[in-house]
Amino acid sequence: MRNGPDRLRALNVPQRVQVEVDGRGIPAIVKRETGSATRVEAVGEMWRINDEWWRQPIVRRYVEVVLEGGGRLVLFEDQITGEWWMQKP
Amino acid sequence: MDRYLSPPPTSSVAVCVWIPLFALRCEEARRPELASQPSALLAPDASRRVVWQVSPLARQAGVRPGMTVSQAIGLCPALRLCEPDPVHYEERFALLLAALARVSPVVEPAELGLAYVGMDGLEGIYGGPEGIIDAIKCGVRNEMSAECGMRSAEFDVRPSMPHAALNTPHSAFRTPHFRVGWGKGKFVAWVAATRAKPGGAFIVPPGEEGKFLAAQPVAVLPLDPDAHRRLRQLGLRTLGQLAALPEEAIVSQFGRAGRRWWRLAAGATAEPVVGRVLPEPISVSLTFFTPVADREMLVLALERLIERALRHPRRTGWRVQAVRARAELERAASWLAAATLKDPSADRDHIAAPLKTRLAQAPPAGAVERLVVEFTAFAPGTAELQLFARDAGAAARAGQRRALRSAVQEITLRLKRPMLHHVIEVQPWSRLPERRYALIDYEP
Repeated sequence: MRNGPDRLRALNVPQRVQVEVDGRGIPAIVKRETGSATRVEAVGEMWRINDEWWRQPIVRRYVEVVLEGGGRLVLFEDQITGEWWMQKP
Repeated sequence: MDRYLSPPPTSSVAVCVWIPLFALRCEEARRPELASQPSALLAPDASRRVVWQVSPLARQAGVRPGMTVSQAIGLCPALRLCEPDPVHYEERFALLLAALARVSPVVEPAELGLAYVGMDGLEGIYGGPEGIIDAIKCGVRNEMSAECGMRSAEFDVRPSMPHAALNTPHSAFRTPHFRVGWGKGKFVAWVAATRAKPGGAFIVPPGEEGKFLAAQPVAVLPLDPDAHRRLRQLGLRTLGQLAALPEEAIVSQFGRAGRRWWRLAAGATAEPVVGRVLPEPISVSLTFFTPVADREMLVLALERLIERALRHPRRTGWRVQAVRARAELERAASWLAAATLKDPSADRDHIAAPLKTRLAQAPPAGAVERLVVEFTAFAPGTAELQLFARDAGAAARAGQRRALRSAVQEITLRLKRPMLHHVIEVQPWSRLPERRYALIDYEP
């Protein structure tokens, strides 16, 4: 089948980032795979997603941040693995 | 297309440009010998052959419009009768309108050989009324002589004008036929044109409309023969006499039409010139391998042409209001049928109906070599518009698909894989952003 599932490509796939947090667990420095470390200027909203607990649980803590220089980013911490990712909201 | 939606331009000060016996003058321009003989044109749309336009010489012999051929010949054995060529006349009139449109953006055709030109705001360009009238005359003369080969003197050239010596190859055309009237509102301008000498202009200064109109005969009103007779029986000879009566008295006798006559006569109303919102006509044609005289064949061709014209992209979103069919016949004759639809439509049968009626009642006088259908005026669509919009949308999508297919083939050829994708919904309700949408290869 030409339009089979094998040809689907998910949109807005999370990208891995390195994040340093402060004492309260709030991102302070973000380092993307293709760039240098950038300081977090401000923190906006935060929210949690807790889903698919019935098969492979997904638990994420989202944090909206403003980076030094003005860039806006949405990060989330995979609270199962402890990894940080960035994603469009 | 937005221009179809914008209100047409108007002008309160009007110039009436009038060429009496326009069709006959067109024939005289083609056949100069007619100018020196009693001549008449046959009616283009009558099932019974009657006389339509009569030259002054024929009129002197007693020939009148509406007479049968036998009556006319009986009165004037030397009468030269001409088959009408309505397409030719329409083309010439269109050129006249085009020439006027170069002087003023507000041009309103009234009938063949009669048009109104809006004058508001032109003083700054041409000066006073005399300057504007000169511009009109020059424009018309130059246009007609340069573009259609029609002799300029068909539209009078005053001897004092610098272009007077141009383009007057036939003496017949030196007879001035071009009359101009100037006044506030179309009616005053029209009456002024009827008072102008051939080749001249009559200007009614602002504020003197009432005085000017009062002395004019009631015949200048748009009256039917019965109303004219009744007015005469009432002893009303002039507009002044009519206007002196109470408006309601005229209304009680003649109803709504009477009210209009009274107001026109009293100068109480000045109808502005309403410029045309120029449509871009859609024209489709069919040339027959061999001339066709069979009525059914012509009807079939007519329907096919209307279908083709309806499919024209320019027609999208618009209903057809005015349609005309014209035919080029053997021996350089022509046939014309025009219809203005009371209810604009995009339905083939609805549009074809009046043309078929004309074809049945007044068929072409010879075999048809070429048939042309033209949509000349449009009205914005209502319910049908949505239907057309869908048609247009489908057509546009089909065009896009073709273009995209070609682009995909090109990209695939160059990059070995298609780089175009559709965005499709997967789980748009999902709380996980990456689950909501996905890309899929685009395959047009």
